This record gives sequence, structure tokens and C-alpha cells, in this order.
Amino acid sequence: MSDAGPRILVVDDEPQIRRFLRVGLQSHAYAVVEAATAAAALRAAVTERPELVVLDLGLPDREGFDVLRALREWSRVPVIVLSVRSREDEKVRAFELGADDYVVKPFGMAELLARIRAALRRQVEREAPEPVFRVGGLEVDLVHRIVRVDSAEVRLSPKQYRLLQILVAHAGKVVTHGQLLSEIWGAAHRDDVQYLRVFIRKLRSRIEADPARPNYLLTELGVGYRLRTPDQLAGTS
Amino acid sequence: MSNYLKSALAVAVVALVGHVLTRVVPLPHVSVLFLAAVVTSATLWGLGPSLFAAILSVAAGSFLFYRPIYSFHVASPQDFADLIVFVVVAVLTGRLAARMRSQAREIAEARLKVQGEALREALLNSVSHDLQTPLASILGSATALETLGEHGEPRARRELVATVREEAERLASYIDSVLDLSRIRAGQLAPRLELVELADIVNAALRRKEKALAGHPLRIELPPELPMLRLDLFLMEHALANVLDNAAKYSPAGAEVSVVARREGSEVVLEIGDRGRGIPAEELDRVFDAFYRGSAHDGRPAAGSGLGLAICRAFVEGNGGAVAVLSAGPAQGVRVKIRLPVPTAAAASEEAADE
Repeated sequence: MSDAGPRILVVDDEPQIRRFLRVGLQSHAYAVVEAATAAAALRAAVTERPELVVLDLGLPDREGFDVLRALREWSRVPVIVLSVRSREDEKVRAFELGADDYVVKPFGMAELLARIRAALRRQVEREAPEPVFRVGGLEVDLVHRIVRVDSAEVRLSPKQYRLLQILVAHAGKVVTHGQLLSEIWGAAHRDDVQYLRVFIRKLRSRIEADPARPNYLLTELGVGYRLRTPDQLAGTS
Repeated sequence: MSNYLKSALAVAVVALVGHVLTRVVPLPHVSVLFLAAVVTSATLWGLGPSLFAAILSVAAGSFLFYRPIYSFHVASPQDFADLIVFVVVAVLTGRLAARMRSQAREIAEARLKVQGEALREALLNSVSHDLQTPLASILGSATALETLGEHGEPRARRELVATVREEAERLASYIDSVLDLSRIRAGQLAPRLELVELADIVNAALRRKEKALAGHPLRIELPPELPMLRLDLFLMEHALANVLDNAAKYSPAGAEVSVVARREGSEVVLEIGDRGRGIPAEELDRVFDAFYRGSAHDGRPAAGSGLGLAICRAFVEGNGGAVAVLSAGPAQGVRVKIRLPVPTAAAASEEAADE
């Protein structure tokens, strides 16, 4: 087993799932560490220092959410959550506990690999943030607080800019409704998703060519919003 | 409770009619009129209300029609006998009619049960067939791969691997629709309505069906000024995804699929159109039946569960909307028209947020 690529901790209690993940990841030059229980996962996270964790939510000893919470107390390692359930409240919970991405079983290896690459790249970018965020024709100058679309400056209200700023800070990742609402309007408004929808509509009308078919600011139905990174934009036709 | 009230009302109506009639023509046996009220009560509202109607009839009859009028006293023995006969006949016909009513209900229930059994059986047959076919392909291809060993021809290997993937995907999408259907039938269809952007839902459905729609040029018209709608995000997204799936399945590669939304008064109309072979007029009203499958664009029976539109209709109606399928005839394509009500308070929160 070569140790050349990034080390990935795979946490799943199903041996068949672990097997195909191991084979699939190793053939793409990742080193794989496996854990079948929550306890083993937390041990391995300390001793093996993985660069990314693939975490199943249904574990025999404790919930996957517990692993995520415990991990986030001391580590910022990217975590991609796996679950058979496509229930949106679970996605929301995973993102709010600090998951970086979410893949619903059954999934294809190609999809998982793409998400792993994206999460690893975001980790690198997070360590050295750029003062100007660019995706397609959208440009957010975080130093001078200037937003341009196709080189033309766009005027945003302070709250619209704040929203964009939060999305830029988490570019490529889903930011949940609750996170955005409490950042912008305070914790008392955590549940006012309608506010946010109206607000996003206005922001889109300023930065998107066709607000009904957004190119940069995407909706994750029932979960939150995501600002695309340049390679996510390139990944679609 | 209100059935007793209705019985009382029926008696009152009869009494009034009788009262007016006796002024015009002499009615020797007003009790026959009251019998009508009793029988009506028995057939429509059951035994209890019919007995109640009989008692009221005796009271009303003796008060209004038998001498002395406007008194509950009945003077003539003949009238008294008339009343006794009335009570006996009323009770007998009341019981008879009530029994017929409950038998009719039992028959209806039994018929519903038979329909339920038939549906369950059809579901079971369809499920086992649709699960077995892809499973057989997966198992077959996987074992074939094993026997190929190290020396297998790369092309054979690729084909077998592709079969495993395609069939597993088919299995996954089939399981999805069965889960949808069981959710409807389990009565868990309690939509969580909230103000949402229709465009978000359309985009999510398009993204989910990206693979099925590949090779079909898309025409999407979602005017930015569309109002927000009060919908359940996920039910609507499922409903739309099912319709898009059909549009892709029933039209040849390269044929356009369109999604057009517009406001029409107090509704938003969402139309999904394809350029496929269309649906013959005589089959149009069957498309919403569970397990109905049209034939694909090449004339062969289409793959799939036959559940898509049944699920779509249940979900759209659960959202307070209506769905219709239109086809101008063979080779004219199909338009699925979904009407969704515009909530009256939609505009209220529009301006609230941006202060």
C-alpha cells in the first residue's frame, strides 16, 4: 500500500461498503484507514491523522453525528457524511455540526471522488484565503468590499453584501438556512426561512444573468445555499 | 347528531306540505305523507333517525291533522287506529330501509377492499418483477466478470461493468418510486407548506434528472416576476422529477423538452412539454392510474414502474394544485399542465426582509 496520496479515514460498519471504498480510493492513489465503529473512528482520527474523513451516519455503537461533534471539538479535517437516508433534516444537522459535504447512498464512486477532491482543495484554500474571490463573471473584492459582475460594479445593500461575504467564506460548501439567518438577522430569526428566500431572490437579481436559472448562487433544496467555486462551475457543462 | 336534526327537518317539511295540501284537497290518510319522511330518514341516516322521525310524525300528525286540531289529543277511534298502524308500518319500513342502507355500505366496503387487494397484488407482482429483472442482470454480470478472471477481454469487461452499473441504477430509481408510493398509501402525505421559489424546485428536479434528460435540448422559461408559492418543496420536486422522467422516456433523443411557467390570474401554470409520440385520446384518462404504462417512442412498452404520474398527481393535489395531461394526438407530444394556487399573502412578506 503506497502512502503517496492523502490519507482518508473511512468509517462504515458495512464491510462491503468499506471494501468498495477501499478499492476505489486506493486505485486513485489515496491511502485508506478503516473503522467500523464510532469508538474506532475517534481513535483512528487521533492516531492516524487522516486528511479527510468519510463518515457513515448509521454506526452500531453511537450515532455518526456524535463522531462528527466529537471530531469538531479539536479538528478541522474535512468530513464527508454518507447516509442511506435522503432526509433533509439530517443533512441540515450534519452541516450544522460541521460536515463539509453529504452523499446519499446509493452513490457512484465518481461522485464521491469528485467531492473528496473538492473538499481537499477547499481545505488548502481555507488555509490561504484569497483577498478577491472569483467565479465566472462574478468578482468579490473582500478587502475593498466591491462586487463586480462581468467587470461592472454592482451595488448591494449592507445585508446583501454580508450574505455574499458569508457564502464566499464557505465557497463550494452548503451553508444552511439557520446559519445564514442567525449570522445576518441574529439567532432570534433562525427559523425565518421565508425572509431568506426573499433576500436571496434580490441578491440573485443583482449578480445572476438569469435569476431563475442561477449560475453562481445555488439552492440546496430544503437545506441552504451554496456559492459555486470555479471548478464546480467548470464541472457543469 | 345532525342526522336527527335532518330527520326533524324532513318531518317538518312533510307536515307543512300536508298542512297546505289539506286546505286545497281533503287528505284522508295524511300518515302516508309522514311515512315518506320516515323512509327517507331510514335510507339516508339510519335506524335511529327514522324512529325519531316516526315519533315526531305521530306528534305532528295528532297536533295538526287529527281532530281536535292544534291539540295532541286524538278524539276519533278511527284516527287513533290510523296512528297505531302508522307507527307499526313506520318502524317496520324504517328497520328495513336501515338494513338495506347498511348492506349497501357493506357491499361498497367489500368492493373497496377487493380493489385494495387487487392493487396490492398488482403492486407485489410489479415489484417482484421489477426487482428481479435488474437483480438477475447484476448477479449474472458480476459472476461473468469473476469467470473472466485476469485474462478477460477489456471490451467484455467494460460491457459487463456497465451492465452492473446501469441495472443497479434502475433498481435504485425503482425503489425510490415504491418508497414514494408507500408513503402516500401510508397516509404520511402531510405536506409541509411554506413560501418557496418555484424556480428552485424546477432547478432541483432538472438537476436530479440530468442524466435522463441528457440528449434532449431543454427550453426553460421561468419569468423572474413569478410570485412565491406555498408548497411542500420535496413533494413538488418529486412530482416534477417524475414528469420530466416521462418526458425524457417517451420522446426520441434530440427532441426538445420544455418547462414553461406563467401566471394566470390567481394561479401559476407550469407546463412540461415533450415532442414524443403523444398519447391516444382514448388512453388519456388512464395515464394517472397506478401501473399504467404507455409505449415508448419506438413503440415498445416503456420501462418503468408505471407509478410516476400516479405519484405526481397525489403530490400535486397534496399541494393544493391540479394536474392535467394533454396530447393533441399521436406524434404531437404530451403536455403536462400543473396548476398551483398563488397564496394571497405572498406579497406581504416580500418587502419585509431587506431593511
